[in-house]
Amino acid sequence: MGTQMRGTAAPGRTPTSLSRRSRTKGGIGESTLRPDGTLKVIGEFAYSSDLWHEDMLWGFTLRSPHPHARITSIDISKALAQAGVHAVLTHDDLPTAHTQYGLEYTDTPVLADGVVRHHGEPVALVAADHPETARRAAAKIKVDYEPLPVVHDEASALADDAPILHPNRDDHHAGHVPHPNIVHRQPIIRGNAAEAAKRADVIVTGEYEVGMQDQAFLGPESGLAVPAEDGGIDLYIATQWLHSDLRQIAPVLGLPEEKVRMTLSGVGGAFGGREDLSMQIHACLLALRTGKPVKIVYNRFESFFGHVHRHPAKLWYEHGATKDGKITHMKCRIVLDGGAYASSSPAVVGNASSLSVGPYVVDDVEIEALALYTNNPPCGAMRGFGAVQACFAYESQMDKLAEKLGMDPVEFRQKNAMSQGAIMPTGQIVDSPAPVAELLRLIKAMPLPPEKQWETARGAADVRALPGGLSNTTHGEGVVRGVGYAVGIKNVGFSEGFDDYSTARVQLQVIGGEPVATVHTAMAEVGQGGITVNAQIARTELGVTQVVIHPADTQVGSAGSTSASRQTYMTGGAVKNACEAIREKVLETGRRKFGTYHPAWATAELLLEDGKVVTDSDEPLADLVDVLGDEVIDIELQWRHRPTEAFDPVTGQGFGHVQYSFAAHRAVVEVDTELGLVKVIELACAQDVGKALNPLSVKGQIHGATVQGLGLAVMEEIIVAKDAKVCNPSFTDYLIPTILDTPAIPVEVLELADEHAPYGLRGIGEAPTLSSTPAVVAAIRAATGLPLVRVPVRPEHITGT
Amino acid sequence: MKTFRYERPADPAAAVTLVAGTPGARYLAGGTNLVDLMKLGVETPELLVDVSRLPFGEVEETDTGGLRIGAAVRGSRLAAHLLVRERYPALSQALLSGASAQLRNAATIGGNLLQRTRCLYFQDVSKPCNKRRPGSGCPAREGAHRDLAVLGASEHCIATNTSDLAVALAALDATVHLTGPAGVRSLPLTDLYRLPGDEPERDTVLRHGELITSVELPPPPHSARSRAPLMVYRKVRDRASYAFALVSVAAVLDVRDAAVHEVRLAFGGLAARPWRAREAEQALQGRPATEEAFVEAVRTELSACRPLRENGYKLALAERLAVAVLADLAGQG
Amino acid sequence: MGRTAVTLEINAQSCAFDLDNRTTLLDALREHLGLTGTKKGCDHGQCGACTVLVDGMRMNSCLLLAVALDGAQIITVEGLSSDAALHPVQQAFIDHDAFQCGYCTPGQICSAIGAITEAASGWPSAVTPQERPLGPVPLTAPEIRERMSGNLCRCGAYVNIVNAVTEAAEAVGEAAR
Repeated sequence: MGTQMRGTAAPGRTPTSLSRRSRTKGGIGESTLRPDGTLKVIGEFAYSSDLWHEDMLWGFTLRSPHPHARITSIDISKALAQAGVHAVLTHDDLPTAHTQYGLEYTDTPVLADGVVRHHGEPVALVAADHPETARRAAAKIKVDYEPLPVVHDEASALADDAPILHPNRDDHHAGHVPHPNIVHRQPIIRGNAAEAAKRADVIVTGEYEVGMQDQAFLGPESGLAVPAEDGGIDLYIATQWLHSDLRQIAPVLGLPEEKVRMTLSGVGGAFGGREDLSMQIHACLLALRTGKPVKIVYNRFESFFGHVHRHPAKLWYEHGATKDGKITHMKCRIVLDGGAYASSSPAVVGNASSLSVGPYVVDDVEIEALALYTNNPPCGAMRGFGAVQACFAYESQMDKLAEKLGMDPVEFRQKNAMSQGAIMPTGQIVDSPAPVAELLRLIKAMPLPPEKQWETARGAADVRALPGGLSNTTHGEGVVRGVGYAVGIKNVGFSEGFDDYSTARVQLQVIGGEPVATVHTAMAEVGQGGITVNAQIARTELGVTQVVIHPADTQVGSAGSTSASRQTYMTGGAVKNACEAIREKVLETGRRKFGTYHPAWATAELLLEDGKVVTDSDEPLADLVDVLGDEVIDIELQWRHRPTEAFDPVTGQGFGHVQYSFAAHRAVVEVDTELGLVKVIELACAQDVGKALNPLSVKGQIHGATVQGLGLAVMEEIIVAKDAKVCNPSFTDYLIPTILDTPAIPVEVLELADEHAPYGLRGIGEAPTLSSTPAVVAAIRAATGLPLVRVPVRPEHITGT
Repeated sequence: MKTFRYERPADPAAAVTLVAGTPGARYLAGGTNLVDLMKLGVETPELLVDVSRLPFGEVEETDTGGLRIGAAVRGSRLAAHLLVRERYPALSQALLSGASAQLRNAATIGGNLLQRTRCLYFQDVSKPCNKRRPGSGCPAREGAHRDLAVLGASEHCIATNTSDLAVALAALDATVHLTGPAGVRSLPLTDLYRLPGDEPERDTVLRHGELITSVELPPPPHSARSRAPLMVYRKVRDRASYAFALVSVAAVLDVRDAAVHEVRLAFGGLAARPWRAREAEQALQGRPATEEAFVEAVRTELSACRPLRENGYKLALAERLAVAVLADLAGQG
Repeated sequence: MGRTAVTLEINAQSCAFDLDNRTTLLDALREHLGLTGTKKGCDHGQCGACTVLVDGMRMNSCLLLAVALDGAQIITVEGLSSDAALHPVQQAFIDHDAFQCGYCTPGQICSAIGAITEAASGWPSAVTPQERPLGPVPLTAPEIRERMSGNLCRCGAYVNIVNAVTEAAEAVGEAAR
């Protein structure tokens, strides 16, 4: 294994709960394997698309072929008349006055309400006894559209005569946006950038562009809605956040939340793309209408329309620096295309602005970030969430500045790197380790892959190892190596004053003569390994070996979303918290039953380890089995991270983020400049993870984030034509990296505890997505000398033809 | 997908009769392209006639030292065939650079040659396309056409042929053997395909009911000095594998006494058919095998290119790729 | 019209169907037999999640019409392990944490088995040196990367998949000796 775990080398206290290592097997810090692993390799793990119910119908969604149009009429009679069709629904059939939903603004119609605002917007639903029947019936629905002018970029969105896409906004940002086609705008002003610019010896500006990336999870949106006898509904679904879905679904159905019972089924990847609703309400509506179970499974084409994407962005930056390499100031303007509906655009804007400086100390800044409403596909959450776009731009600027100053790009970054105690542009003090310079040092110190790795022992070129493999035209003489560095900063958890919490219910009882813990949360396991870690936490805290993971559902309180790198922190924290409460109960019972036998029951700090109650000097006092007897200890508790606050709408100041996460990459590429072919030889990553609860999972997350960043760097983009129509909704035309594109990914992990977080851990899933992209592009720039201001970089950008 | 009848006749004659007698009938072999397009609603056959088990599964040496390849041979099997690897390495390279191992295991040689040309708009039935619905228009010209044709396109269609195999076979002077309602006939592979003109819905010159039975290769060319066949297939794409060519080149070159004795050059990714570069070949015949000569010849060929807003980069790619391939082959000889 | 009687041998069991001609092998497995281990990721041969073994060869079951496979032997992910033990490739995927969400995993595993067989049969890949003598091709990391490139994994577990297939190929090779 390439991973090295390092101890505390820099400031940062170790919380007391860490001072003693647990001896219980399979606890935190071990690379335990996934509890669902065997099911997954034998094909028995039930994903949402695998569900089946007797007598079930199949739902299908008719979508708009127009990006912006008025619906003048809908005729469903031919579809209804088709044999096998059980229901056809349009906006007029919605059961209540709540006909819209949304993560942040309630602006998304369940079914188009007279106007469609993007290509692929749902217009009507069909339920039939066979998916093909449903599909063909949908094709028989006659919708008359009257096309409306299309808003497709900043100029057309903010023009004097621009159509206002959401004329009656009542969201909490409506009052302070400069134009109704701006979803949200967040300025941040700190210090005096104009004044500080006068101290600069060099000033560097740049305009950068990030294409629209797709989450492209392999398991398309799907679920099964089963009508219940009580008039409610049971929904089995692949999602990232059961309770957020529930909050949006129930009012549309006109049902109280307790009558909408949701259970998580197997999730085939998420990456942010399942944070918004897709087919949830649709399946429920059809099930309630027909009285039969209804399954909806999107195909790949539809999936490209069925979820939000990463915001494409245009970013303008100005930095100044003194001759000795200190950044004087930064100004930037970040324009994100939010598409037709808000989704999580406001929070993406908050991230883009507050993280726009990167992990650097810059006291004088003038920042503006905004998201537009357009008729392009809606954009929202994707791994990295607003920080990805900014990181590509500020890291490109860092290289430009270093070059202009004649400095080494890593040294330049280190000179300006933030560390614990630094002040963010929002005025927030970074109050946990921020080992930015150290991460850069680690990554630079890693041995480089051998030069001319394509050269064989005999000195000839092995063309298969050259960029493009056999397509290469040279024998190595036209291949240039480049090395690039990047580092990024990502917030962990929900920010800006959001009441972010998770809930865990833990039971402890004796089953078959053994103490067994059951952990019940609503956390969505989407592949990140959350259930692995939750079981480890229960073992460590309760000293048991047997942990049962209860399926995630809405019978327990909300866990919040599997996003924002937050679940190990939040649901892990909730499980730890509930286990601690259980432990207190156990000790209470123990004292009651056995307290008179040993004075330590009253005087010592007691722990649960290896199935026993032990003292902090390892003296066993009683077996858990004996303490528990036939008692079942059952506790459900909410757990919160420390509160954050909203950013000031004018100055952007505020304690907005609960924790920051840092990762750095070094990319080594080889470029065939003649043909524009890039081969990434190695993408080394160093990350501070606070505490690796499961080192194997940590490495897996870093691998995955790195590969997705690589995809954005050199191949991934949803092409939206000027007419706002999506052009490439398939895996032949929207390319994602294969195993052949994936280089070696050596990983170095720092473990500098954050004293505010459970076990000192740091959310890890996103940070490496940020730095991977700019590192690869920096390496291509280093190899070619080209400016490359847009991702993805394609062959023609390198050949300049 | 529309419903259809399925037949698996026992012999080629019965297959031909079935298809010839049904206007909406199509042959089915590996199905990797046809079934894909049927799912998209692009192809709507009413009868599928399965020819995958007809006796076209052999690869054999011909009397003249060439190779006859049965149309039902699977791509992966042909790429691994010893005679192909020894004598026609460019053919093996072309096959192995296409699609994925799974698709190569299913797709046949005949089916590969008859895959429909490709365009983002052709495969999306919600959009107009002259190839799919003649007269409905070609949004690709104004829209997304980065991967589309720069040679031989028409105002009606700029789709590209994406068969790697066809490009290699074009350079290898392959002949296609057909059987049909009017009997058997043979065509040079390059004549199998047609340019869109004002009938973009027709990719090939095949008549309804005609079936490819085999592909024949003449004996491989050899340089005077070695027995190694001087041929190569190279492909430039957006992703290192499992992606269609932006540009590809298949070339055969025999240099004797520093002059071009024999040259055959074909491009992929540039047109609705594999583009045999006959002008370039002619310009090179007998000339010194120098890089300057290669550049000049390839430019002559590519002067016919009519790029659009987004696909002009293909010219330089094609030129560089072809010149490098030829220079490489010249250096080896 | 539109339907055909078909017999397939699936995981060593003979299965007779009367199928709508439009039914792909993937849908026959998932909808008619309840064998949902084989996944539908794209339904167009672009992702590899539906990979199964047809007469020993790995193929995308989403692009195969079941009627055309009459008499074929199909092995799916459900047919790989015995009651006693997992297939060495399955075990290697667990040991190396070669998946996260797991959706691509059944296809990856079937594809890896196909790749190991193909390499052992001496079939070249795009990266096999042309001058290589005939005979089994050793599954080096570059060979595995090229041969497995028809199976997308969006979680990006590729580094671990290379390790898993490397180990499994050795295990399968040893078992064959």
